[in-house]
Amino acid sequence: MKNALNIVYLIPLLPLVGFLINGLLRKHLSKSMISVVGCGTILVSFALSIVMFLQVKNGDGGTIEYFNFISVGELTIPFAFQIDQLSSLFLLIITGVGFLIHVYSTSYMQEEKPEHFGRYFSYLNLFVFSMLLLVMGANYVIMFIGWEGVGLCSYLLIGYWFKNNEYNKAANKAFVMNRIGDLAFLIAIFWIIAKTGGVNYGEVFAFAPKLSGTDATIITLLLFVGAAGKSAQIPLYTWLPDAMAGPTPVSALIHAATMVTAGIYMIARSNVLYSLSEVSMNVVAIVGLATALLAATIALKQNDIKKVLAYSTVSQLGYMFLALGVGAYSAGVFHVMTHAFFKALLFLAAGSVIHAMSGEQDIRNMGGLSKKIRITFITFLIGCIAIAGIPPFSGFFSKDAILLNALLVDSHDGSFSIKGIILYGVALFTALLTAFYMFRLLFITFSGTFRGTEEQKHHIHESPAPMTIPLIILAVLSIIGGLIGIPDAIVKGGDKFTEFLSPVIAQRAGHPVSHSTEYMLMGLSTVLVGITIIVAWRQYRNYKRKEATGFAKVLEDKWYVDEFYEKIIVKPLHNFGGFLKNVFEKLVVDGLVNGVGRMVNYGGRQFRLLQSGQVGSYVLLMVLSMVIIFLVQFFLRK
Amino acid sequence: MNALVISAVLGVVMMFSGILLKQKSAVRNVAIAGMVLLLIVNVLELCGNVFFNIDSKGMIEFDRFALLFNTIVYVSAILYLLLSARDMEKVGVNYAEYLALIFFILCGITLTSSFRSLLILFLGIEIISIPLYILTGSDKRNLKSNEASLKYFLLGAFSTGLMLMGIALIYGAQGSFDTTRVSSFQGTASPLLVAGMVLLLFSMAFKVSAAPFHFWTPDVYDGAPTVFTSFMATIVKAAVFIAFIRLFDEAFGTLQSQWQLLIAIITVATLFIGNITAVFQQSVKRMLAYSSIAQAGFMMLALYAMNADAKEGLLLYVTAYSLATIGIFAVLIKMKDYTFEGFNGFAKQQPLLAATTTICLLSLAGIPLTAGFLSKFYMLKAALGTGKHLWLVIFAVLMAAVSVYYYFRVIQAMYFKDGEVQKIDVSPAFKWTLVVVTALVVLLGVFPNLLLNWYYF
Amino acid sequence: MPITHYIILSLALFSIGIVGVLTRRNAIIIFMCIELMLNAVNLLLVAFSKMHNYAAIKAAADQKLPITEAILNTGSEGQIFVFFIMVVAAAEVTVGLAIIVMMYRNIHSVDVNFLNRLKH
Repeated sequence: MKNALNIVYLIPLLPLVGFLINGLLRKHLSKSMISVVGCGTILVSFALSIVMFLQVKNGDGGTIEYFNFISVGELTIPFAFQIDQLSSLFLLIITGVGFLIHVYSTSYMQEEKPEHFGRYFSYLNLFVFSMLLLVMGANYVIMFIGWEGVGLCSYLLIGYWFKNNEYNKAANKAFVMNRIGDLAFLIAIFWIIAKTGGVNYGEVFAFAPKLSGTDATIITLLLFVGAAGKSAQIPLYTWLPDAMAGPTPVSALIHAATMVTAGIYMIARSNVLYSLSEVSMNVVAIVGLATALLAATIALKQNDIKKVLAYSTVSQLGYMFLALGVGAYSAGVFHVMTHAFFKALLFLAAGSVIHAMSGEQDIRNMGGLSKKIRITFITFLIGCIAIAGIPPFSGFFSKDAILLNALLVDSHDGSFSIKGIILYGVALFTALLTAFYMFRLLFITFSGTFRGTEEQKHHIHESPAPMTIPLIILAVLSIIGGLIGIPDAIVKGGDKFTEFLSPVIAQRAGHPVSHSTEYMLMGLSTVLVGITIIVAWRQYRNYKRKEATGFAKVLEDKWYVDEFYEKIIVKPLHNFGGFLKNVFEKLVVDGLVNGVGRMVNYGGRQFRLLQSGQVGSYVLLMVLSMVIIFLVQFFLRK
Repeated sequence: MNALVISAVLGVVMMFSGILLKQKSAVRNVAIAGMVLLLIVNVLELCGNVFFNIDSKGMIEFDRFALLFNTIVYVSAILYLLLSARDMEKVGVNYAEYLALIFFILCGITLTSSFRSLLILFLGIEIISIPLYILTGSDKRNLKSNEASLKYFLLGAFSTGLMLMGIALIYGAQGSFDTTRVSSFQGTASPLLVAGMVLLLFSMAFKVSAAPFHFWTPDVYDGAPTVFTSFMATIVKAAVFIAFIRLFDEAFGTLQSQWQLLIAIITVATLFIGNITAVFQQSVKRMLAYSSIAQAGFMMLALYAMNADAKEGLLLYVTAYSLATIGIFAVLIKMKDYTFEGFNGFAKQQPLLAATTTICLLSLAGIPLTAGFLSKFYMLKAALGTGKHLWLVIFAVLMAAVSVYYYFRVIQAMYFKDGEVQKIDVSPAFKWTLVVVTALVVLLGVFPNLLLNWYYF
Repeated sequence: MPITHYIILSLALFSIGIVGVLTRRNAIIIFMCIELMLNAVNLLLVAFSKMHNYAAIKAAADQKLPITEAILNTGSEGQIFVFFIMVVAAAEVTVGLAIIVMMYRNIHSVDVNFLNRLKH
């Protein structure tokens, strides 16, 4: 088994080969050939990832150096891969979920021309390659290379349907916001080099205790800005919902299951550094929680099936950051895994719905689909239950771990701190919102009566097997995926997940709460989520378009209790969501981005005027600057 | 010494070839063969076979650094000729003369990379500049070309005056033009020496188009025939940078505390003006002119740092920059419309050319896995190595982020916008050469040591 | 005459050249001002050459050393440099005047303010 590490380079290499074949020969290959190359390479990578995972499980992970990538002076950066618990887990998620999405895509993109089909698969493979590079790299520079790569691929894939100007704008937005994050990451790398003299994880973390507090804070905050860009946190989150312009499988792969978790990976990887800075931890937790809440409220008001899922992704990512911020790194990573399952499932199921509805994405035009597309409905339902956090579905365990850890922050001797209670309360509220908007989406889409056109109705059909089989597999994973992380309170030693990660992730020396308290908390969240789902069911199971119903029908509808909910809970929340969307997003976030742009714009115009085209003014400016420099040189220096 | 003699002889040969050979393709073949010959003799010298051992009284010394840089220059020049030599025919009738001038410029470059005396530096710079004035104005009927040429000439001659005054003052202080004797002084440096150093700094900053001495660059690069802009912006600029770093390393190394702050100021100004102004250009050619200023700002970081990493990094940087820019210009020359809109829909018509241009642009923007990323990384690492002015590094990173905007405008036009590009016809040989250029850019981005190992052997 | 006088004279000539470049609009006059700058440098170089020569001979005489050929030749490189400057300046004149003539043919003027097609 030991020598399996020798072929670890094949894991990223195969998708790269797939990219080259599909990219260069796309005009000469048939669609089926392209599919085979695209999916096959990922499948083999997945198989190899399993081998690596087993190897790591046996304690045989390690770092493999290939060649000296950069050697400047005393700084040596090897091109090396690090296979340990954290990276092997991400490998499994990326290649596993990635493979399913590739298979799904072969059917979903079937109507494209062979040339575009090839281009699509080549980008997809390139994306998987970059993502693998990101998690396998043994130092920050390799991580950065993968980091840039996924940003680039995301840009290419969002702009995939480049005819549409809107998509172009979305692609640009995604790129710019990612670049802001990348920039902070790059500066962080240089800061790390300046202070620790290395970039290899081993060296940096070994040096970490000698870092000064300020340096640790600056580095971790910069890294966090980078992570916020990639993982769509406040204020760099608006690109993710817009990025839904890309094809649905792309949304599933990039904007739900893998790329956006890069930020989580980075912070979990750097947990040694984060543990040094209380400030950074607080910032991560608060920004994460704020994002989770903000995105969840916005999701309440969305009517585009993909937009709801997009905001839900932002919200769930916020959850993961909350976990990281309270020091529960393994809970965060656990949520990454379960989220990858159920979010990929939800997106692919949404793709299946869109497919069935001939491209319609507005849920107000759907309804009553549950009988017509049975498999899609059931899998979507499973996804919703999983994300809402009903035991024993996967989302329950990861979400519960995060909630518990949030509550336990700063706790002493069984009593909870104020901070912990606030974090817990807001996080629980967000979880309820999540359940509400997800089931709203489910009921509006699948129950009630059909509200689309006759033509659409006629056309509704279940998707072909290459689309449904990945759905079923993901649904099964969404159900059972959480079982590897059962808290100790239920099954002694059930938390295999944390145990597995423990060599690479520092454990909190917390005071575990008593089992009875834990049971109570679990029960509380489950009951509240259950109530929320019932509310959503009553509210939306017979959803009718407002503009289609008219006043008479409202009277006919005797659900005063609905009206009550509508007025007391739903309306304010809707308004609040709308307020945040319009005011916060438009004014604050976009205003900030545009403001910087305008400043650069203004400055640039002024500087252009210096280039007057007149030789005389050029000489004058040169002579003036010469005089100034001479003055600086001879008089202003000590 | 091999390449120096051969390049001068080849210049003369090219002038005669214009008379003796009737066909332009024959002239071109002679030029390319000559360039290959230059490369071969230079590599032979790198391996220790010197044919011409002329006693220069210690004024010229071909060390590893110089020879390696010359090799880079000749490889770039061969690629340049393969890609663009055909397009020189469109500029004017004096085809052989243009090529002859290019060989003379290479002779000047060989001098500037190996000087040990300020006299040779002066001669090298002038041998580069004077043919460039001619090449800039070679499109005689074109008013823009005229204007660019006259501006370049007047400002260039002015900066020559500054350089000579600087050299004279240094001579007065040190009594020699020899770089090692310039750098050796007892006690504090005399004001004459410092003033001379500052004047030389001005004139070299002018030649590499560092702010605030960059004003000629956009106008000249824009006005000159595009084939020659390509040459000026890449090989020539690289050569002057190598001269710059040699001068400040060998002659003024002992004065570092005097000039380090000045160079930091110039670096910041160059990065800022180059990047910010490039954002607002409508023409890709002019954008590339500003981008060359911005890239110069990055190369100035090597001067600022002035350690072993910096010299090594600068070699990598000039290689990455020259290759990528030659690749982009080679495609630009073929275009009829130089505006950004002119590139709309280019990817549909010429997928291969669009792909190579994209990779070259990515390299200039410093995206990983291209040579551009690593070279920027080397520069920043070298600047960090000085242990002070961390803000300079952060500023440079910020500016690199701005640069992404204007490079991506071209990529966006090519891939994401629809438009009718006028049909351009390119030979398969042209395409393959471009692929080679791009492959080199990527190869150096993954294995930079392929190049840098030559430096140490 | 002490060397400072030569330095001041040269710098004065040099500055007159710079001011000329700054203020004049006629390309030929600008060019002549640049030539003035170069000649200021020539003057300075010759003066420094003589200075170094004198200093070397004086130092040898003071230390009672034999005056060798090498000592007599000290400073000669400054004068050699002047010849190089003359040659290069001549080459520049040839090219520069050709460019000015080319411009005159096209726009019938040698006023540099007409050169403003390329800007921003």
